[in-house]
Amino acid sequence: MPERRRSATTAERLGRMLVIVPYLVQHPGTSLESASGIFDVPRDQLRRDLDLLFMSGLPPYGPGDLIDVDIDEDGGVWISMADHFARPLRLTRPEALAVYLRATELLATPGIPDAPALASALGKLRDALGPEALGDGIEGAIAGIAPPHLDALRAVAAEHRRIRIEYTAASTGERSVREIEPEAVFASAGHWYVVAWDVAADGERLFRADRVAAVEATSERFEPRGLEGAGRQLYTPGDHDLAVRLLLRPAARWVAEYYVTADVVARADGTVEATLPARQTGWVAKLLLRLGPDAEVLDPPELRAEIAEIAAAALERYGR
Amino acid sequence: MPVDEGMEPLERLLNLVGLLLETEHPMTFEEIRGTLPAYGGDNLDSAKRKFERDKDILREYGVPLEMAATDVWDVEHGYTIPKDRYYLPEIAFTPEEVTALFVAAQSASEETVAARGVRKLLYGAEGGVLAGVESGPLVAGSDTRSARVVAAADAASARRRVRFGYRTSQGAVSDRVVDAYGVVFRGGHWYLVGRDEERNAVRAFRLSRYTTEIEDVGDGSAPAAGFRAIDHVEAGPWQLSAEDRALVATAPGTVVLVESTFPGVVRERTRDDGWVVLAVPAADEQALAAMLLQFGADVEALEPATLRDEVIRRLRASMDA
Repeated sequence: MPERRRSATTAERLGRMLVIVPYLVQHPGTSLESASGIFDVPRDQLRRDLDLLFMSGLPPYGPGDLIDVDIDEDGGVWISMADHFARPLRLTRPEALAVYLRATELLATPGIPDAPALASALGKLRDALGPEALGDGIEGAIAGIAPPHLDALRAVAAEHRRIRIEYTAASTGERSVREIEPEAVFASAGHWYVVAWDVAADGERLFRADRVAAVEATSERFEPRGLEGAGRQLYTPGDHDLAVRLLLRPAARWVAEYYVTADVVARADGTVEATLPARQTGWVAKLLLRLGPDAEVLDPPELRAEIAEIAAAALERYGR
Repeated sequence: MPVDEGMEPLERLLNLVGLLLETEHPMTFEEIRGTLPAYGGDNLDSAKRKFERDKDILREYGVPLEMAATDVWDVEHGYTIPKDRYYLPEIAFTPEEVTALFVAAQSASEETVAARGVRKLLYGAEGGVLAGVESGPLVAGSDTRSARVVAAADAASARRRVRFGYRTSQGAVSDRVVDAYGVVFRGGHWYLVGRDEERNAVRAFRLSRYTTEIEDVGDGSAPAAGFRAIDHVEAGPWQLSAEDRALVATAPGTVVLVESTFPGVVRERTRDDGWVVLAVPAADEQALAAMLLQFGADVEALEPATLRDEVIRRLRASMDA
């Protein structure tokens, strides 16, 4: 239905104009380029919309009643005769809530840059929009502390600088020095991550920022490959992954939520059968040691011997 | 499609918004038709249809298009857009504040409600805005679709009673009826905090564990004075906080892992064999003993003796299993 599709586009364009025009009125001389970037509108589309604005105005729609749009040779936009569009449309309630919720999430993440500015911006927003838009009871709590090298990692990622890091992998417990090209630093589910190209492995790797023990910048810069940052899967299954099948009793049910699972089947007796993909079994064996009687190995059976082996080695530490 | 007689719909809509914002009295459709040439023409029905469609578009974008009596006798009704409901109030943000909001609203998925909301706020920024905001989103979307978070926040702020299916961390699924009091973000997760009707007690419900959408079932209740939703959300089992500290010896290569597991760890000293002695917050000895086992033979519990004994007991049990 072309008619319907066209009206949707018109609605979007209207919504956009009611927001962009006030910005341009308040910031005279803003370039088309930068407005197109800030409002995420293709330059040509923005130009077409501004050309239409030029033909609108107030009654009686004589030459002196129409909005005046001037785009100078440097691409700077100047709008006059648009007093009625000098301020934008209010935020809808879902928009105000979404902004507030998003910012609350960010403020509750330890190590966030610009936290004081964000907090004061939220205060102003709250004062201006009032409780009817934002309501009460939206709270965030900072959990944990920022990784010690977070700022350094963010700085080198922004500069596209190759670095050497000392890293401890949780899966193997091994510490290594790696040369990486960090592309993005982001937080997810309470932890900070670095997405990077591992030079020696010649592949993409994801590092937990709090397990980076040292950062040393090299003089080398790199061209970003466009690795996926925030929003990516935290675990990328590999071709050689083992499928570890565990039986989880209620007290260990959280394992199926906390770790990436390939399959989770709830049984009638309240237990859960979970399949975890694992590159190696070392970390699963130690996890099972932690869970004790709350979990059981279903597959592979060799995992049971591995657990006993680690337990024996640990008991030796205690002189038993 | 000749419906617009050469005039772009966007132009017509911009004119309509301007007209109804600036009009001193509510305008009937006939008056609007007489003023805006876009609704003119011979065919009254088609002009009316066009106007109806335009009204829908305006309302879809949150333009407060209202009907009011055109005179005191209340005989005739017309359209108007009240300025105080249309315009965003003046908010003066510093460039740092606007940048922080803009970054906060960025998301991995292309266009979000938050991003749309923040763009409306940019007009109030003083000076050059958003220089150098090219770092991409900082925080991945939280553990649940943001629509559910908005619904929960909505219910809490309006003090509504809601119903939803919920699976506990232990795996039990049941229907809950809850008076919504607040939403809390903690440790990477959103929670709805409220009074659980059946249990008659305040509980926190992690949104990622809902098995249904949130359904509004009526008026709720108000929390007691001084209520703080955040006090009702416990940190996860792996986050311990306490005055008491346990001492553990850690293999050199494992120190970073232990530190990243227990927030608030302090390095006490390095032993001659290279192992590092760490002071770990120890609120719950049972939980701490279990967590130390996750480091296998690379961590040794030193003090208190009860913790050490508990670790040994658990290790023996695993040998026998």
